[in-house]
Amino acid sequence: MGVENRKNKVEIQEISDLLQDFATSLMGAGTHTSRVDHIVSRIADTFGYDLNMTIFQKTVMMTITDQHDTTVRNTSVKRIKPLALNFKIVSELSKLSWDIYDQKLSLTESRERYIEIVSAPRMSRWWVLVLVACANASFCRLFSGDGIAMALVFAGTLVGFFIRQEMMNRHLNHLLVFIVSSFVASMIAGIDYFYGLGSTPDIALATSVLYLIPGVPLINSAIDLIEGHVVVGITRLVNAGILIICIALGLLSTLMILGIDNL
Amino acid sequence: MNLVFSILADGLFAAIAAIGFAVISNPPKKAVLVAALLAAIGHALRFFLLKNTNLDIATATIIAAFSIGMLSIYFAKIIRCPAEVFSFPSLLPMIPGMFAYKTILALMKFLKCKDELLLQGLIVDVFRNGLTTIFILFSLVIGVSIPLFVFHKQSFMMTRHLKVDKK
Repeated sequence: MGVENRKNKVEIQEISDLLQDFATSLMGAGTHTSRVDHIVSRIADTFGYDLNMTIFQKTVMMTITDQHDTTVRNTSVKRIKPLALNFKIVSELSKLSWDIYDQKLSLTESRERYIEIVSAPRMSRWWVLVLVACANASFCRLFSGDGIAMALVFAGTLVGFFIRQEMMNRHLNHLLVFIVSSFVASMIAGIDYFYGLGSTPDIALATSVLYLIPGVPLINSAIDLIEGHVVVGITRLVNAGILIICIALGLLSTLMILGIDNL
Repeated sequence: MNLVFSILADGLFAAIAAIGFAVISNPPKKAVLVAALLAAIGHALRFFLLKNTNLDIATATIIAAFSIGMLSIYFAKIIRCPAEVFSFPSLLPMIPGMFAYKTILALMKFLKCKDELLLQGLIVDVFRNGLTTIFILFSLVIGVSIPLFVFHKQSFMMTRHLKVDKK
């Protein structure tokens, strides 16, 4: 009896740790709350536990209870580390959860595959840099900017995003990062206005900072709100709003320095 | 002919934009290509609607976002990947950046302006552009999430290997 109890205790803690790791990684990687709920509940169910959890932007709280013996239970709280968006993790962990459910993977095997997924390398930062710059330049074209505007937006995004990557690597305050990179990008695009090069300097200025817009958190926030996870939804919305204000601050500084009143 | 060309060009640039904005969130490689395709279809559709019908930009956006949402459910089944992994990046080219910028600009002028008559025009500018920004954002989200809610159960099962009864 004693031995079995101790074994149960170890097992329930290991399962709880795995579930917490799943939930915090998924939240950190940027998925909406109900998906986290579904994935983690599915795994808990596979191992024979019922799961109740509360998710906030910064912490996950969960209690797991043995489906046959409700006195066997474990409650845990874990902090969510702020990570960069990572959809690969979302997609792979979602697949893994179904594999655990369908193929009844063991706890150790699940843990190994989890570690493999979260430690997979990201795409090379230089590729990301170039692709983001191209994207913002073509964005400028979508708003009917001319060739000069596109070229300047390309250059501005290249420099701005590089600065953002460098500052992020040094773990500077992310609000400052957003203000500075928005300022730098819009300053470079402001060359168009300052020297009167092209015919669409306003579009160059407006689109130069758009690579910073937190689009994914905004959409996640709306989905959370609609699905009834109102607290997380509002938190995401407020966070995204603060970032947008920072982008606007950077852009405003540029506009003031260049003295743009008559565009 | 000219119209077809400009629609295609619009789709192409939307695709490039989607690829760039998608890679920020490090998606699986297949998902990047699908995101590019969906962004091209969605943005070109909105472009077409704006040029050829008298729909306003918010309604056109909701239609485009809805098509992206429906297609993303379909593609999610094919490449076994959660739908939002590529439907979110494909919406990003439609983010109303220009309107947001005009709102900020009008606000700035409003703060500096001393002329009573001009002030009224500026406040209209602030509200017109600000409301358009908000409406487009909501249209994007609502349009893309209706299919997710309609196919709610399926949307959580996209990544499942369907070989349970193979044993």
